[in-house]
Amino acid sequence: MAAQTLAEAAVNEGNYAVAFPFFGAERRGAPVLAFTRIDSKKIFSKTQVYAPDCVVVLDDSLLDTIDVVAGLKPQGMAIINSKEKPEDIDLGKIIKTATVNATSIALEILKAPITNTAILGAFAKATGIIRIESLEESIKEKFGEKLGAKVGERNALAARTAYERTITGKSRGVKKLEARKQWLPTHQEIPVGGALIEGKTDAGLIGPGSFIENKVSGWATYRPLRDRAKCTMCLLCWFYCPEGTIHRISDRGDLMTNYDYCKGCGVCANECPVDAIKMVRARA
Amino acid sequence: MITIKELSDDNLFTAGHTACPGCGVAMSIRNAIRVLGKDTVIYVPASCAVVFGTTFPYGAWKVPFFHTAFENTGACLSGMQAAFEKKGKKVTAVGFAGDGGTYDIGLQSMSGAAERNDDVLYICLDNEAYMNTGIQRSGGTPFGAWTTTTPVGKVIQGNRRFKKNLGDIVAAHEIPYYATLSIGHPLDFIRKVEKAKNIRGFRFLHMFTPCIPGWKMDPAKTVEVTKRAVESGMWTLYEIENGEKRITHKPGKMKSVKDYLMMQGRFRHMSEEDIKKLQMWVCRKWNLHYKEKGAPEVCEIPQFEEHHAVTEEHREMHGP
Repeated sequence: MAAQTLAEAAVNEGNYAVAFPFFGAERRGAPVLAFTRIDSKKIFSKTQVYAPDCVVVLDDSLLDTIDVVAGLKPQGMAIINSKEKPEDIDLGKIIKTATVNATSIALEILKAPITNTAILGAFAKATGIIRIESLEESIKEKFGEKLGAKVGERNALAARTAYERTITGKSRGVKKLEARKQWLPTHQEIPVGGALIEGKTDAGLIGPGSFIENKVSGWATYRPLRDRAKCTMCLLCWFYCPEGTIHRISDRGDLMTNYDYCKGCGVCANECPVDAIKMVRARA
Repeated sequence: MITIKELSDDNLFTAGHTACPGCGVAMSIRNAIRVLGKDTVIYVPASCAVVFGTTFPYGAWKVPFFHTAFENTGACLSGMQAAFEKKGKKVTAVGFAGDGGTYDIGLQSMSGAAERNDDVLYICLDNEAYMNTGIQRSGGTPFGAWTTTTPVGKVIQGNRRFKKNLGDIVAAHEIPYYATLSIGHPLDFIRKVEKAKNIRGFRFLHMFTPCIPGWKMDPAKTVEVTKRAVESGMWTLYEIENGEKRITHKPGKMKSVKDYLMMQGRFRHMSEEDIKKLQMWVCRKWNLHYKEKGAPEVCEIPQFEEHHAVTEEHREMHGP
């Protein structure tokens, strides 16, 4: 939706633009991709963007797992939703970087951690490709039409606030990121009528139970904090947790939450009969 | 009977799967497999459960898992069970089909397995629409609900048909065990899964599993919404064992269906008139299930007998 809004704003300014998402498993909170192309001439290229001029990252937890600037042009720019300053962000190479704490802005103005409109404001400030006024118009129109004029105006305000709070600078280039290897066998590698059995490849575990290597903590905006003194060990949180990330430690009669797999849904806090669980910001 | 404390600690459905935060399906299958134990084989047709639980070459299940086409859950389960029996292995063959895969697409196959009374456990995860493909209406979608195929317009708002009574359809096969479950009632949930595990013949468990994006609600309210559904009568907890029906959880005083509806974005557009219509459907269901409790106050305003049989819309759609 942000990619489309941006494209519409560009079109309203008299440019040509296309926007489209990458179709994958679209689950709430899961990493997704979307592309926008803007040009003063007609755009004939219909492929995904592999060498972008600008990368926008809506969640800085992705920086630890994915090389977000792979393919970025040398003079390109990265815009990152983070509480850090650009100088403190390590992208593996030194490039122009802008940061804004879009999650805080979204929580403040929209009362929900939906950062896509706020980050557009940062994009306008950092790149100057588009004027903030036309972006506001486009947000009001696009979101207003679907969710009501009030929501549209609040989203435009989020973009404006982010525009004002964006910090630009240069990133650090210290760490080396290896792309996560993928194991995708060809059809000859799997026996006919055979099953995928538990196994270990260069890319990690495969087969039954291998999702355990898939850390999903990056999805979470909040995470639960349990007050041991209040807890009565009723185990309702353990029962309800859809991720199964709350573990029982039988010999101590205690519970332990592994935040690696917590998506921060808040069911445990909502269902706790003695209110022993509070949700706190995962990355404040 | 197993209590929550006695449930197994093994995570046979591991963490790290890619379901949405607060997914009702993930909660239900995790706890079902906790009760069923490791001597279980799983079949899942096309649904969210296959996408978030097994993305080739990775998987969350630690028990044998099989997946083919959408419409053949019943047939596959029968085949799997027969194969294991031939090999002399005692396992529980369990199918987790969605409401689309049970109410609409898999109905014939499920009916076949039920008719043969094959020794399998069929679990329907009812989230009241085709959520995996992006929220399309199914036979399980309740009246008034927004889906992408029943949009909210100026003339018609949301789904115009009432939820199909799957319970009676399944029970009409005269199977040994049919039960409805809700994740918001843990003891009832565990007891029914355990009971179904130990019965021989075709068993059917009907689970009520909220869908966060499809119902447009706060992920923290997954369990709360199932409790409200039971309190308002939108979902009733009962079991049919060898033709004998038994109510397993009697809610207190009936709550207005509005409390349940307003929690979810998919119902928020509903007009007073539509809510009344749905309330009458709920009242009818309530009176059917909790006869001895008598009609609650909300039901006594208009005559509820008339509502479902022939409404104006039914006439328009199907003729008189």
